[in-house]
Parts: sequence; C-alpha cells; structure tokens
Amino acid sequence: MIRFRRGRVVASALAVLAVGVGSACSAPGSSSNTNASTTGPIKMAVVDAQSGQLSSLGAWEYKGAKLAVDQWNAKGGVNGRKIQLDVFDDTGDPTIGTNLARKIASEGYVAMIGTAESAVTVAMAPVLQQAKIPSITSGQSPSITAVKSPFQFLNGPTSTTYDETLAKYLVDQKDLKSIAFISNNGSYGKGEHDAFGKALADRGIKPVDDQVVTTDQKDFSAALTSIRQKNPQVLFVGTEEVEAGLIVKQARELGLNATVAGAAPMGTTVYLQTSGAANAEGTVVSSPYLSNDTSDASRSFAQAYKTAYNEDAELHGAKSFDGTNIFLTAMKNSNAATGQQLADAIRATKYPGLLGTFTFDQTGVGIHATSIGVITGGKLIATATS
Amino acid sequence: MQVFLQTLVGGLSFGAVYALVAMGFSIVYRTMGLVNFAHGQVVMVGAYAASTFYMSSRLPFVLAIIVAMVVTGLIALVMERVLRPLENKDFDLMLIGTIGFGVVLESLATIIWGATGRAVPTPVGSQPLDVFGVRIRTYSLVVLGIAAVATVLLLIFLQRTKRGAAMQAVAMDHEAATAVGIHVGRSNAIAFAIGAGLAALAGGLVGPLLYVSPTMGGALGIKGFAAAILGGFGNITGAIVGGLAIGILDSFAAGWFQGYSDLVVFLVFTVIVMVKPTGLFGERTVSRA
Repeated sequence: MIRFRRGRVVASALAVLAVGVGSACSAPGSSSNTNASTTGPIKMAVVDAQSGQLSSLGAWEYKGAKLAVDQWNAKGGVNGRKIQLDVFDDTGDPTIGTNLARKIASEGYVAMIGTAESAVTVAMAPVLQQAKIPSITSGQSPSITAVKSPFQFLNGPTSTTYDETLAKYLVDQKDLKSIAFISNNGSYGKGEHDAFGKALADRGIKPVDDQVVTTDQKDFSAALTSIRQKNPQVLFVGTEEVEAGLIVKQARELGLNATVAGAAPMGTTVYLQTSGAANAEGTVVSSPYLSNDTSDASRSFAQAYKTAYNEDAELHGAKSFDGTNIFLTAMKNSNAATGQQLADAIRATKYPGLLGTFTFDQTGVGIHATSIGVITGGKLIATATS
Repeated sequence: MQVFLQTLVGGLSFGAVYALVAMGFSIVYRTMGLVNFAHGQVVMVGAYAASTFYMSSRLPFVLAIIVAMVVTGLIALVMERVLRPLENKDFDLMLIGTIGFGVVLESLATIIWGATGRAVPTPVGSQPLDVFGVRIRTYSLVVLGIAAVATVLLLIFLQRTKRGAAMQAVAMDHEAATAVGIHVGRSNAIAFAIGAGLAALAGGLVGPLLYVSPTMGGALGIKGFAAAILGGFGNITGAIVGGLAIGILDSFAAGWFQGYSDLVVFLVFTVIVMVKPTGLFGERTVSRA
C-alpha cells in the first residue's frame, strides 16, 4: 500500500491547482519561423483571448479582422502580396500576452491586431515597441496611452472619451447627479473608474458610493446592498461584459432600480443575455458603434459579417475590421513598409471607418467621440444628445 | 445590520455550491486517497450539460441537472477505468492523470460548446422575497434546498447502506477490505461517479448564478478545494462547513476589503490551515493517501 502524508498531498495539490489557474494551453497559430521579408505573404497576428471569460471579445475581434483580410485577399492582397492572418490565444493573461509578443516578433509578423484587454495590451507594448511591430488595440484604458509607445494604436477612443460623453448625457442633459460607482480592480475597470470619476469631478459631483470588486467576483451582495442604501439615481458599472451582466442581474434582484450606465461592454449581447433583457432595460451606453444600421458602410459590413459567420455584427468586430483595414491601407500606401515606416504610415492614414473617421493623434488614439444609446426593448437604440 | 444580513445571504448560496464541489473532492479522496484535479472541469462539463438539456432540449431544470449528473457520472467511470491500473502502484502518475483529464475536458468543452460561454436563465423567475429589508433570491433558496437534500442523501448512503459501509472500509484499509471480499475497483468507481455527480449538481445549480464557460471550472475548483481542506479533507461534514465558510468569507471580504477580497480570503484560509493543518473536522483515519 502506498501511503502519503496529508501535508504533502495538500501542498502538491495546492501547487498544481495554482499552476492550473495561472497557466493555460499553448497558443494556436503559425509555427513557421521566418523573419519579415519582402516577398511571400504579409504576416499579421491577431492576439486576443480565445478562451476564458473574455473569449467572446477575442472571438469577435478575430472575426472582424478575418473579414477585412478576406476582403483584401479577394481583391488581390496588398500590392500583389496576400495577407496571412494567424490567431494567438492570450487567455486574457498579461504574462501569456508578453510571451506571445516575443513569439510574433521572432516569427516575422509585421503587425498585430489586439488585444481587446487593456492590461494585456499594456504588458505587450514594450516588447512590440522594441521589435518595432505596430499594434492596434481595442483596449480603451488610459493606461495604454500612458505607455507612450509610437507603435501602439487604439482603434477606438479611451475611457476618458467614453465617460465624458456619458457624464455629458447623464449630468448635463438629464440632470442626474446622485451617482454610485461599481467597478472592478482590473485595468479596464480602473480606467473606467478614474475616467468617469474625473468627468464627474469636473462637474463638481462626488459619487454617493464607490464600490470596487475583483475581476472574478461572483457575489456582489455586499457592494450592491451598500449602494442600495444610498438610493442613487444612476448606477455606473465599470466592468467587462459578463461581470457587468451579473452585477446588474443581482442589483435588480436586490431591488436596486437605479438607471444603469456604462461604456461599450454594456451594449453587447453578452451583457444583455447575462443580465437578462428585463434587467438590462434602460441601460445607458456610451459607445462609438451603436448599431449596424447607422450608415451604408455599417450596413454593408453587417451584411458581410452575417454572410460569413451567420451572426450579427457588433462593436468589437467593427473595431477590429476598422483596425485591420487601417493597417492594410497604410501598408498599401507605404508599399508594404514595416517597422517605423509602417507606424508612420498608420499615423498618417485618415480612414473613414465604421466607428467614425480615424485620425490618429500623437498618443495613438484614432477615434475621439462616442454616442449614447439606451437599451430599449432588448435592443440598443441611439438617442439624441445635445 | 441590513448590509450584514444581505452579505450573509449572498454568501450562503455560493457557499452551498462550494460545499457540493468540496464534497466531490472529499468523497474521492476518502475512498482512493486521490485528489481529483479534473474535478473543477467536471463541474464545468456538468454546468454545460445541464444548461444544454435545460435550454436546448427544454427539459425541466431539475431533470436537466439529473441527466447532467448521469453524463458526468459516466465520464467519471471512464476516468476511473483508465486510472485503475495505477491504483496502489504509482500515486503521482494518477495525480498527473487527473490533471490530464482536466485539460482534455476543457478542450472538449471548447470544441463542443465553443469558447464564448453562455448565460443560463434563472428557472424560478419570481420576485425576491423581502424579509425585513433583506432580499432573498428565490433561486438561492432552490440552491440551498437542493444542496441540503443531496447532502442528506449522501450521508445516508455512506452511513446507512452496505455499499457505503464497504466504501468506508476501503477508505480505512483497502487490503483488509479486499480480504473480506469487497471489490476495491468497484468501490473506487462508485466514489468517482458520486463525486462527478456532485460536481454536475454544483455546476448545474451555479449556471444561472454565473456565466457558463469552458474555464469556469478553474475558479470553482480552487474554491471547492480550499473548502474541502478547510473542513478537513475527506470529511463530508467538513466539506459542507468548509464550503459555507468559504462562501460567507468571500462575501464579507468582498464587502470589507473590496478589490483585495481574494487576497484576504486566502490569507485567512492560510492562517486557519496553519493553526489547524487537518482542517476543522480533520480525521486521521483517512490515511490511505
């Protein structure tokens, strides 16, 4: 009979579980090891969470990017060269992201789409800067521009823009001043918390309650009960899709009836499904892409997306579609330049995209405005702002 | 006071789920002396299976969970059969084997259901109960009720049935048990299947509280494991107390320490385990491992 001391089993068990939580499966993608060349396909990488709680973001991002690449390849590619798009799974983990940055640098990728997670983007930026690989992220935390990498671009606004628009609508237009915060302690949540906090402070308003939760918290009773006692008019939620959905679902169950407000995650189907349509009703969303029906470009994008994937397009697919098109346009204009030249070409690209007209400033931000939508009857409807 | 009670109620329903996960860990451990590292992933498969039968096949919620328990029970029987040749020969390899199964299950779930995950609607949609200002979700009562029934049934099985007594005997001394004619392999297979059934029950119940995704097993697994250790690994009553304790601790830490709550929960856990390494209800008789 084999006997093991309890302590040893427990210690090894804890160690293995810790490893299990911290690590993830190796990333899929190309294993070829060629450096950037001037012949053959142009290699672009999509780095995003393809597994884990944030994988819906990663799936949308990849679909948007692939749609753009397929359209370019169908027209012959960039100056006669095809584009090769490979996807890598960062699982939403900054450490894995950093390893992937080294991997794509060593394997000859000239540009990167992703990631949708601000923390991973910030972690990858220095490695990509060193390797002179431009990347365009869907992250929106102001911490991304704080890295000050000339190779880091954003295919949307930062939280500062999202939340200034939100404050303008809620406070200036609707005169709602009793506002409670609930945000997570991740990079995105902290960015939202600080940006909306500043937008309110500029208007002389202090939140009536300010609750911070962790990124994988499941029970929000304590935070929401504290908020309910303050009876706010508005509950500002600064978390990603799934967590926002759980928070709003539990808030309604606890009898908190304040108007829910937040940025882009609250306009997604994942948020709607997680919270339940009835609970999400009336949610105020600040987003640069409210619907597939705002222009000819968005209608044609949505149609192509539906044909390719048999599902409705949404913000993140649109963002990465725009980002990929900007990359490819810049490559075409610069005759397939790489490195610094490509980064300069991207900065010089004025691109009429789905999210608006991209004009990159020195911080790498391409879009400088968002609009307000309200979830009405289970759908995000654009609202008139003044 | 209202915040205190509301926090307590919030912690209890998650605590009940952690208790079920912990019981699954414990029953395999007490019978085989093995920590089943795939347990969290079995919870996840259970959650997916239950949600699939509930949402796609339109089975009643409870029936969907029962079918899911059968599915995970079968998976567990396969796992035990694969691991059986290693029993009492190479314990470390068995541990690695369970980790491997965990990876396989997560990958299979991604292939079958996709990486994105799904939201499961609450089966009881009525308004929360209002007890002196404390709002109690009807579904939380369902979770607590089902968890309590499952616990009682398990305890009756282990303490009042011949098969349960045989499993206890195998746990204490498998050579002596073999000598009196108890089939150790079968006993282990039953332990694995019951553990997996409990995992599916936990997964099925937690689906409407959370968001079902291929990686949900990681977080639930580690909380359930911590609950099992806290209660005294291998002890069923300990698993229940440990699970509720972790759930409530989690909830209060979230209220008091906000963004640092995870850190606080595991610090408290570490201190308790340092003071009492066998956990709150630690038994020394479960020493096969």
